[in-house]
Formats: sequence, C-alpha cells, structure tokens
Amino acid sequence: MENWTGTLRLDVEERQGKTVAKNVYFQGALKVMRPVYHDDSGQACYYILNPGGGYLDGDRYNLQFSLKEKTKLTLTTQSATKVYKTPNQHAYQETEFILKKGSYLEYIPDPLIMYRNARYKQKNVIRMEQGATLIYSDIITPGWSPDGEQFSYDQLQLMNEVYMDDELVMYDHIKLNPAEQDMKAIGFMEGYTHLGSMIVIGEQTNADLLDRLYNSMSHDENEYRMGLSMLPVKGFTIRVLANKTQTIERLFTECHQIISEAWFNTKPSFLRKY
Amino acid sequence: MNPNILSLFQLCDSNLPTGGFSHSYGLETYIQEGQVHDQATFAKWLRVYLNEQLIYSDGLASHLVYEALENNDFQKIWKLDRMLTVQSLPRETREGTQRMGERMLSLVEALYDVPVLAEYRKRIKEKKSFGHSSIVFTIIGHHLGVPKSTTTLYYLYSAISSLIQNAVRAIPLGQTAGQKTIQEFQQELVRATEKIQDLDEADFGITSPGLELAQMKHERVNIRIFMS
Repeated sequence: MENWTGTLRLDVEERQGKTVAKNVYFQGALKVMRPVYHDDSGQACYYILNPGGGYLDGDRYNLQFSLKEKTKLTLTTQSATKVYKTPNQHAYQETEFILKKGSYLEYIPDPLIMYRNARYKQKNVIRMEQGATLIYSDIITPGWSPDGEQFSYDQLQLMNEVYMDDELVMYDHIKLNPAEQDMKAIGFMEGYTHLGSMIVIGEQTNADLLDRLYNSMSHDENEYRMGLSMLPVKGFTIRVLANKTQTIERLFTECHQIISEAWFNTKPSFLRKY
Repeated sequence: MNPNILSLFQLCDSNLPTGGFSHSYGLETYIQEGQVHDQATFAKWLRVYLNEQLIYSDGLASHLVYEALENNDFQKIWKLDRMLTVQSLPRETREGTQRMGERMLSLVEALYDVPVLAEYRKRIKEKKSFGHSSIVFTIIGHHLGVPKSTTTLYYLYSAISSLIQNAVRAIPLGQTAGQKTIQEFQQELVRATEKIQDLDEADFGITSPGLELAQMKHERVNIRIFMS
C-alpha cells in the first residue's frame, strides 16, 4: 500500500557551519516552508504543514528526515495535528528520522487533537548513530467534540522506536481506547486530561542532569504529575500528566533550556507560530 | 495426566528465590500517596496492571517465545528478550526484571539441562541479551511439554500472586484478604490468557500512562521497602 495522502522528505547537510537542505521533496497533503535560522548557530528550523487542515478517514502520511554529520535541525509543525472522525479506516502517519554521528535533532510538534470517533495510529522510527543527539516531545490532548465532551475519540496508538547503531534501544507503545477504558481511573489518565512525553538521547546524559531537571520543577500535583527515568542507553524519558497543553509546554521548554545550557551552553529558540 | 505440570508449578511458588518479593512495579508509589489503601483499591490497581501492561509485555512474550521454540526460531527469542527490556521505560522496573530473570535462569539451570538455557546464559554474559523471567519460565514450560496457554497462565499466576503477597506486607492487608484477592483473580488470569491468544507482535509493549508514570515516580519515593 504505497498510496500516500501526503509524503515529505527532507535531507539536510552541513555547509560551512550552516545546516542546509540537500534534498527536499513533498507531495499531496504535506509540505515544508523555507527554513528559518533563528540565530547565527547555523541550526535550521523547518515548519511542517498539512495544507488539508487535518487528517481524514483513511488518510496515510509518510515523512522521512535525514540528518548528515554535524547538522543541527529543529522540526516543528505550524499548528496542532487534528484527526477528524474516521468511520471506515483509521488515519495513519509514519515518520523515519536518520541521525548520523554528530547530528542534532529537535522534534517538537504541536499537540494532537483527536475529534469525536477518530482513530489514529502513528509510528516514529528513529535511527541514530553513536554520537548523535535527539530531543523529542509530543502532547496528546483530550480531543474535541461539539458538546465539549473529553476523550470522545475512539482510539489512539502511538509508537516510538529508537535504534542506536541498528540495535533497538527504546520501544514506547501507548494505546488509548476511551470507548472501552475509564480514562479517569487509576493507571490510566488518573483525573488528568493531557499527556506529554519527552525523549532525550545524548552521550552527555548523567544522573546529575536528571536530578537537576527533577529539582527544578514544583511538582504541584494539582497542576501536573511527572515521572522521568534513565534509558538503557545514554538518555532518558519524561512523562507528564496535566490539565492543559500550556502546562506541558512550559515544563518541556524549561527542560529543554536546562539541557541546552548543560550540553551546548546555548538557549533554545522560541518557535514563533503566529 | 501430565506429571510435568507439578514441575512447572514448582516455579510458581512464591518461595522461589528470584527476588520477586522486592518489587512492586509502581504499586508502592500509589500506597505512599494513599491511592491504594485496602483490598478494593489494591484489586482495582492490580486489574489495570494485569490487563493494561502485563499481558502486553510478559504475557505476550511468553506466548511468542513458546511459538518461537516450537519453530526452533531462536533469533526470535533473543529479539523478544531485547524488546521486553527496552519497552520498559522506568529504569527500576527494567533493571529489576533483568535481575530476576538472571536469578531464575541460574536456578533452573541447576534443575534442568536445556541447551537454549545455556545459550541464553552465554548471551547475557556477552551482553547480547538481558534476561527475563517470562522467557526462562516459558523455556521450561515448553521443555516439560506443558501446553502453550497453560504455560502463559501459570506464568501470569506466579507474577500476580507474588505481587499480592507483596501488597499484603506493604499496605498492609490481612492474610485472608490476600487469599481472597488471589481467588478473585483466578478468573481474571484465565481471561487475560485467552486475550493473549488473540494478540500478535503488533500489540507488544502497550502500556498505560498512569501505571508507567507511577513506576518512574517510584525512583523519587522517599521511604521505600521495594526496589521498584
């Protein structure tokens, strides 16, 4: 089944300290804008667009990003990903990221909004070489329905696979079935509405950084609940349950700042969308 | 009647020295926070743990490893060992199951002579594999000729009954409440095993956000009697 609703391919390389596109290709309901350089670090920022305005019944999207040695890339979306009702076939998106040694990727998409009776499956495959760095985040909202009911979508399945030098080092599989599960119950969303995930992989990861990140947070459980833990490779994951997209965005921005300062002595750029 | 059933049953005994008594898989976080405080709240958590995490990890792995053994597909077993390990994002849970897997492997090596066990040991020593009780248990179930679904059911029983024993100590619950929970879960375990028969590799590693977050939070719990 190769009939994609939208495909996007972007390969970047380093030219005189600047990350530039070597190859850009898109077709159908996906495109990227011209890169933005937020500062003089040479790091390129690309905004991914879905000109259709949302994912429809049976839509299939395929994205591929390739980062050559020494490239620095930020990828984000221009607005939230919306998945509308899927009466016949779930919407699907698969994305592959290839990170060569010494490359750096920030993938910070906007939140996912599932509409009533929507079903969506997403698979991210990240293939890294030793010495590459990854900062990934995503946010799942309780979705949207005309009467304001939360979790009115049918099913959401998110998979993240990370390979380091061709060995699987992380496998993250979240599947929510609000039609069958009590989302408020213990073990599920536990009274919160939004779920945030962050994956950070980099050779400079150590226990001290995790302590610093943890201790920089207020841990006010009226607002959010957070866990973080070391991966079997140099890296860690963070999960946040909260009641607002902004709460998770604020926490992840703080984490991102602490990591950038600790590892690169830089500040991450503000991603202007409007 | 298959006398080997008793041999597999030996591995379900909560006295089996694999270290199961020191792991709560996030339960202790909920106990400390007061969300689990009696038999009813514990059973609620345990049901979610069984049906939203354990069947997609250890349970499904047992099913798939048994199939791989029937097909002599050893690469598949090593692949599942890695998947079981890396799908566990909370470090304490991941390292705990790994340690228990190794201990169980040492123990059954003293009881049985099965070539695949020796190969598993060698791979762990060479850091090519990690070690997991579900895989060791299933290798023995298959070796003893215990049917596939029975092997999975017994494995789930051993995991759940050991957690119930831990809850009896930690919440604490009375011994009778513990036994009542074990009884109440027998039907649940049969249903979980039936569900596993309909799963495939695409379902592997599914977890539920709250369960996993509590397992991560356990690392920062101040006073603790469990290692996870």
